[in-house]
Amino acid sequence: MFQVSVAPGNASLRTEGTREGITEGMRVMASSKRAGNDFGFQFSAMASVCEVRIARLGRRKAEQLARLAIDEVRRIECKFSRYRAASVVSRINAAAGSGRPVDVDAETAGLIDFAARLHGLSDGLFDITSGALRKAWDFRAGRLPRADAIEALLPLVGWNKVVWRGARIELPLQGMELDFGGFGKEYAADRAASLLQERGVSHGLVNLGGDIRVIGPRPDGQPWQLGVQHPRERDRLLAEVPMASGALATSGDYERYFELDGARYCHVLDPRTGWPVTAWRSVSVVAPACLAAGALTTVAMLKGTDALPYLAAQNVGYLAVDQQGQLHQREAALTLN
Amino acid sequence: MKRALQRKKFALVPAHGKGAVVLAALSLPGVWVAPAHAESAPDNGVIAFRYLHYEDSQPGLKRIKVNSPSLYLMTPIGPQWAVEGSAVVDSLSGATPRWQSSVSSASVMHEERKAADIKVTRYFDRASYTLGVSRSKEHDYASNALSLSGSWSSADNNTTWNLGVGGSSDKIDPTGGGFSGDTRDQKKNTVELIAGVTRALSSTDIVQFNLTYGSGHGYYDDPYKALDVRPDNRKQAALLGRWNHHLLGDQSTLRTSYRFYRDNFGIDAHTLQGEWVKPVTAALTFTPLVRLYSQSAADFYADARVDASGFPVLPALQPGQLNSGDQRLSAFGAVTLGLKTEYKLDAAWTVDLNLEAYEQRSNWRIGGSGSNGVDPFRARFVQLGASRKF
Repeated sequence: MFQVSVAPGNASLRTEGTREGITEGMRVMASSKRAGNDFGFQFSAMASVCEVRIARLGRRKAEQLARLAIDEVRRIECKFSRYRAASVVSRINAAAGSGRPVDVDAETAGLIDFAARLHGLSDGLFDITSGALRKAWDFRAGRLPRADAIEALLPLVGWNKVVWRGARIELPLQGMELDFGGFGKEYAADRAASLLQERGVSHGLVNLGGDIRVIGPRPDGQPWQLGVQHPRERDRLLAEVPMASGALATSGDYERYFELDGARYCHVLDPRTGWPVTAWRSVSVVAPACLAAGALTTVAMLKGTDALPYLAAQNVGYLAVDQQGQLHQREAALTLN
Repeated sequence: MKRALQRKKFALVPAHGKGAVVLAALSLPGVWVAPAHAESAPDNGVIAFRYLHYEDSQPGLKRIKVNSPSLYLMTPIGPQWAVEGSAVVDSLSGATPRWQSSVSSASVMHEERKAADIKVTRYFDRASYTLGVSRSKEHDYASNALSLSGSWSSADNNTTWNLGVGGSSDKIDPTGGGFSGDTRDQKKNTVELIAGVTRALSSTDIVQFNLTYGSGHGYYDDPYKALDVRPDNRKQAALLGRWNHHLLGDQSTLRTSYRFYRDNFGIDAHTLQGEWVKPVTAALTFTPLVRLYSQSAADFYADARVDASGFPVLPALQPGQLNSGDQRLSAFGAVTLGLKTEYKLDAAWTVDLNLEAYEQRSNWRIGGSGSNGVDPFRARFVQLGASRKF
């Protein structure tokens, strides 16, 4: 009763080809042949194609539960998106440099604490203030920023500058920004999955644009077959990962980028230099919770050549592709409680 | 145009032991909940073979040896049904238990017990119901039992209630009529009730309470013991409390339990047990165990007495007077130490070795003095098993 064992499965792939129109890193390909009792609910949130998948409960119940899960994802999006003026994050950002601290609720405080913790655990690489750098980088235009533009923004980056006292936060400089983009979607995937789990779902998963949290195995007990996007070939999968529980997240240099003079500039920016990272084409991490998996993919992208020992020390499974296209992998089979 | 997909298979699964980042993530509310143990048929079938060797002894005397191969099979039939069954053959050999330590001779015996049971479970959304039958047969004792149990879960699956009722009907036909020769074709019937609740307190803690009550009437004597006259009914009650705590750091689990038992023979017993399920690698798990046990003597238990020359003094009994010298009804304490080693060969196969050493002594009784004249009693269990998921 206490342990759910996670064992690699050997279920074969159920559908052929890839779905068009999904540009995110991963997608759920498995669709049970006994589709009669396995329902997928697609929706769009957090600028991603998302899916809640619930098996074995019957259509009516699955629909009701999927609605709750989708509502939870939307709630988190509304609350933490920096693109929504009413969000907590927008409120904090709007007060930057005003000298007025912003009071936050317990959930927000928990997430900020998590980010602060991760900042320490990543030697300052995971930094929720690094979003300010995006003002210099226009990935759509595909132009390199002027060096002085980055120099001007770097002083606005740094978690250490933030005044954080448990329930009150203050960004001391005007132009400073918090961004929960590095883990908000992953957190939402975990919350939605937990909510379903608490309501009796034991077979299903939540996929928010490739950040996937598995609730439990497929109805036949076999693991879901999750695909990892190939970082260079759009319609190809790099690998297939069978999972019956836990979470899978991927970060890659192919999600938002431009190429100039043979070099690739991706959206993962190093808070120390303000420039895009270059060591990895993609990093996928398997961890018990999506929040951890997603945060660790970001840290790994930033860690450069130190990424793999770092992930190993965090005791998670990974699949990484370096700039030569070489695969690096760590697998560790074990049980989750 | 879609290209043929070239895929590599990777088994990326969550690693053993959790790093700081994972722990930080799991500590946020709503990120992690204890897996729902919803009522549904198991996903896999299991077939297991086990071989148990048991040996007990008292100082200077090897007593019973039991070799017992068993087979277990459980298979889901669709998502809503599961059937499980097991069969065991026990081969007993050795000396029968001594009538208290001061008797120097013990007869030698060899016998075989065959037992089998089958259970069928039907799973519903929040409930499951199980019907079981079992049968056990040895040359002088046959038992048939029937049980029905149900389990119901709360909407959040954090609480599960269970109720069960069982009955058994035994026939005792001692070889040669037993010690006194007039105990052929005896019967014993028992009814047992169980009620319990299991609750997940957090993602790492789960507690359970079970109350069992059994009532039986019929033949309770040991037909092979002299002067063994016991009541013709037995009422037994036990309260079991269990607490499992999972440690996120090293993925190990502490399992603790306490059981209080009382019956109308006058026995009060306490059992305290602790187990530590410690995964050492992804495949290897060690589970050390300590169990402490203490009981008071039955009201009609008679201490062994010897006269000046060392011969046993047999009690003088009135007709109908209860009496027994069975050491199992004496007052004693006992300690069990165990170690279970489990090794996963692959996703399907697991082998395990379970070792237990048991020692019982009168003066180890907790909270009272033990019975006089009972030698320490030791037992060893060695169980080797292999199981396969399918």
